[in-house]
Amino acid sequence: MSILTKGDLTRRALGGLAAAAAVAAPGVASAQARTTLRWWSPQTAPAQREAYNFQIRTFEEANPGVRVVFEATSDEGYPAQMAAAFASGQVPSVVTHLPSFAVSNYWQAGLLEPFNDVIDMIGPQNFYDGANRVYEITPGQYAGTGIGNSAANAMWLRRDLMERAGISATPRTWDQLRDACRRMQGGGVFGVPLPYGRNSMTSLVFICFVHGAGGQIFTPDLQVAVNSDAFRNSLEFYKSMREFAPPGATSYSWGESLTAFVSGATATGIYTGRVLANVAAQNPRIAPFITAHEYPTVSASVPHWTFNDFPSVMIPKVAPNMPMAKRFAAHLFRADGYIRQLHAAPGHVLPVLKTISAMPEYQANPIIQANRAAVDLMSTMAASGHNLGWESPRHRPNTKAGQVIASHAISEAVQRFVINNEPIAQVVSTTAQRLETLMRA
Amino acid sequence: MAAQHGTAAGQGNPLDHKDALLGVMLIAPTVLIFCAVIVYPLVSALYLSLFRIYTPTLQGNFVGFANYAELAGSPEFWRSLLNTAVWTVLTLTLQIVFGIAAALMLNQAMLFRSLARSLILFPYFVSTVVAVLVWRWLFNDLYGILNHAAMWAGILDMPLDWLGSMPNSMISIVLVGAWKYFPFVVIAVLARLQTIPEPLYEAARIDGAGAWSRFTDVTLPQLREVLVVVVLLRAIWDFKEFDLIYLLTGGGPVIATQTLPLMVYKEAFGLNEMGRASAVAVVMMLVMLVFMLLYLRVNRAQDQR
Amino acid sequence: MKRSILGGIAFNLLAWTVVFIVAFPLVWMVITSVKPQFELFRIPPTFWPEQITFEHYTRLLFETPFLTYMRNSLVLSSATTVLVVGVATLGAHSLVRFRYRGREVLAQLVLFTYLLPSVVLLLPLYLMMVWLGVANSLFSLVIAYTSFALPYALWLLRSFMQGIPEDLESAALVDGATRMEAFFDVILPQALPGIISTCLFTFILSWNEYLYALVLVNTDAARPLTTGVMSMLVSAFNIEWSLLMAASVMMSIPLIIIFAFLQKFLTRGFGAGGVKG
Repeated sequence: MSILTKGDLTRRALGGLAAAAAVAAPGVASAQARTTLRWWSPQTAPAQREAYNFQIRTFEEANPGVRVVFEATSDEGYPAQMAAAFASGQVPSVVTHLPSFAVSNYWQAGLLEPFNDVIDMIGPQNFYDGANRVYEITPGQYAGTGIGNSAANAMWLRRDLMERAGISATPRTWDQLRDACRRMQGGGVFGVPLPYGRNSMTSLVFICFVHGAGGQIFTPDLQVAVNSDAFRNSLEFYKSMREFAPPGATSYSWGESLTAFVSGATATGIYTGRVLANVAAQNPRIAPFITAHEYPTVSASVPHWTFNDFPSVMIPKVAPNMPMAKRFAAHLFRADGYIRQLHAAPGHVLPVLKTISAMPEYQANPIIQANRAAVDLMSTMAASGHNLGWESPRHRPNTKAGQVIASHAISEAVQRFVINNEPIAQVVSTTAQRLETLMRA
Repeated sequence: MAAQHGTAAGQGNPLDHKDALLGVMLIAPTVLIFCAVIVYPLVSALYLSLFRIYTPTLQGNFVGFANYAELAGSPEFWRSLLNTAVWTVLTLTLQIVFGIAAALMLNQAMLFRSLARSLILFPYFVSTVVAVLVWRWLFNDLYGILNHAAMWAGILDMPLDWLGSMPNSMISIVLVGAWKYFPFVVIAVLARLQTIPEPLYEAARIDGAGAWSRFTDVTLPQLREVLVVVVLLRAIWDFKEFDLIYLLTGGGPVIATQTLPLMVYKEAFGLNEMGRASAVAVVMMLVMLVFMLLYLRVNRAQDQR
Repeated sequence: MKRSILGGIAFNLLAWTVVFIVAFPLVWMVITSVKPQFELFRIPPTFWPEQITFEHYTRLLFETPFLTYMRNSLVLSSATTVLVVGVATLGAHSLVRFRYRGREVLAQLVLFTYLLPSVVLLLPLYLMMVWLGVANSLFSLVIAYTSFALPYALWLLRSFMQGIPEDLESAALVDGATRMEAFFDVILPQALPGIISTCLFTFILSWNEYLYALVLVNTDAARPLTTGVMSMLVSAFNIEWSLLMAASVMMSIPLIIIFAFLQKFLTRGFGAGGVKG
């Protein structure tokens, strides 16, 4: 006892503590111990779940001792659940299908693990060009990657109704669109199912129109840019289209807009490839007459702008079993499972890997096969698409995009002008103020 | 010992004093659960309202009463408060009126009465989210059966925009709210109706009272205690209602149907401002508290008459 | 005589029309749940299905975790109801029939916690569950639901018990019963309709609760019907209408059965003619 110095005692005590901690610490995997990964996603329709189960099974077979548990969250529930998870430290290993602005928001708060390793595992050359740029929030580091693309503002046309109205050319400009709608409207059919409700669809669709007018919501270094002619023009145009939308459009959101077109009540649609599956199931009669196109802009000199919310994959920074979590994230992109996932929502969730698009196994889906042109077009559109979090290749990532949408600043602008007939100058200045306050916060 | 029970001294049954301990023991589990499960979240909410909190991390900095000051100067807040009051009063009134009427109806002999009772309760059984989705479908301008039936019957010649313009939006949510929750009143009132002694009605009938006076002179007074509680509980619940309004109109058009609970949700999870959301919630609580205290005081005064 | 038969028919007609109007969405749900998908959005809308199919029900029952969710909901709601009504009945009796200091204040305090919207209570409650080690389990939901069902039940039962005449209990006490014996033999039977209706409320409250279940539980093994069905079938971009209608019908059926069963107790008139004078 007496030969031990104080230092020795302390070292031994610390060593003992460390040993005890190592034994007690969870997740220290010995060869025999089971590692459990938790996978969260809000996309959990039965068809998608089957695909997930397949991917989980193949991963578990390839990695004995690892168990993957899928836990469903939801589009309205995930903010609260993620907040609870981060606050308590009980985070899942992998989270998929959250919109890109959620990812950028969490990244900004330092909550996510850089995704570069996973992208390397998948093979950066396999991605469509620029598919990951929206996630390069801090230069050189990726906050996540997309697991699927969606062309949310694809224009859908009913060829039979166009023929009947004597229109042969696909509308390219706003005036042509308006004219086509005017001619096709009648006999219980409306021109467009544009949303005018106080919801995210209205905000997102209207942002597409602003870009279609050649404008933007924020400048590349994120100053508010709504006090512009383009913004005013798009408000005017959007208002002028109100007469071609069904009476209830003032409260339309995604579901109503989609069903308006699918049920045959409108001559044009504005939606993702979900249209294809829904038409096949709910109104197969019109299936042969549907085509998809890029949405018109104000004039032929303004390029098309596709909205893609880039459903994401991300890994929280404090996720347990990080190396295994990364392996699993990469596994989600393996062809056999990935194709199954894509086929669960054919045309709606599009591959981010151009290698997958080219595979015959991917194309061997009845809906994709029957609509090759539409699906290929949407894949390309979406791959070069943008959203409020990243409005153009020159823009800095906007980590407050989610909050801008949730504040309803933009959808309220539309409502004030279109429904309440407030003067345009007032609407624009109020909106600009609100956006500035949000960005400053 | 006896001197401690100041207020009770000299009143009522002497047994009451001895049994005070038993009484306290009986209420103890309630109090325990209440303390254990509610006090911490409640105090948290009060505490968080003094901070600027970023929801995903629950971190932030102290701002004192800045959140409250912002609210006081925010037209959105005052409009939401007004909307909440309007919505609560209207839907509560309809819930009570329909509830009592339906309970009276279901208290009479009728064919397949048990089935009728179960069906009347259906709105309360069904999950709010599902009910609202179905109502949105029924209200739809293109394929909704309500518009279609009204046009077929000649009442309308164009589909009505039930949810997207005022005053339709407010009327629609009030009606759906009444439909959803009036069965609560039915259950409580029906249970109470069962225990009203028949001889009271017979005596009234012998005195020559008609159906309406039998209702106001016999039924209503008997229902009073239950109704007092039902009104209180329903008022609180309606004031806090979130799902129904959020899914039906989202608070629109613009903020014409935005109520305080919607504002709390928007701040907490849309704008990631947990501190401001807590401040709105605390204000809500204070409003309801004032109402509750006034209400109970008025009722106690009535009781003593 | 004639008048009363006519009157009876008129009354039945009126009553059943009202019932039909109130239950119309249920009728709509049932009819839609047996329609094939391509009949869903006919314009103009059709009421009766042209074809009847049960594919949505079979798909729901056999290809999704629906039955697991239903089992969880049944366990959760039953446990909550038993706990809440048990505690509240004792508490209500205490508030009504005993005197001790702070009695009124206590009753009001219990209700006071009720006044905060659940959104702000959510995160602290979740963190508390994590700290207790019961996060992501049915037990955490029972605790959470008890917290907001208890004030409700307490106040409701209190009002029912206030309606029971004091003489009944005094009579029993005079006969030599203890307070608790009087409670079980005299008060409880009198309060039975009130207790049954409170059970019903509490059960329905737990059955339909959504927000707490959404945040507190994430695993299928403990997920109840509300969040299970919603997450599975309702997303921002798409709603699986047919499956949703089938699920909603199946979610409502246990409640309708339970209520039909409980009705007898609800309406047994123990109070009628119980006390003279």
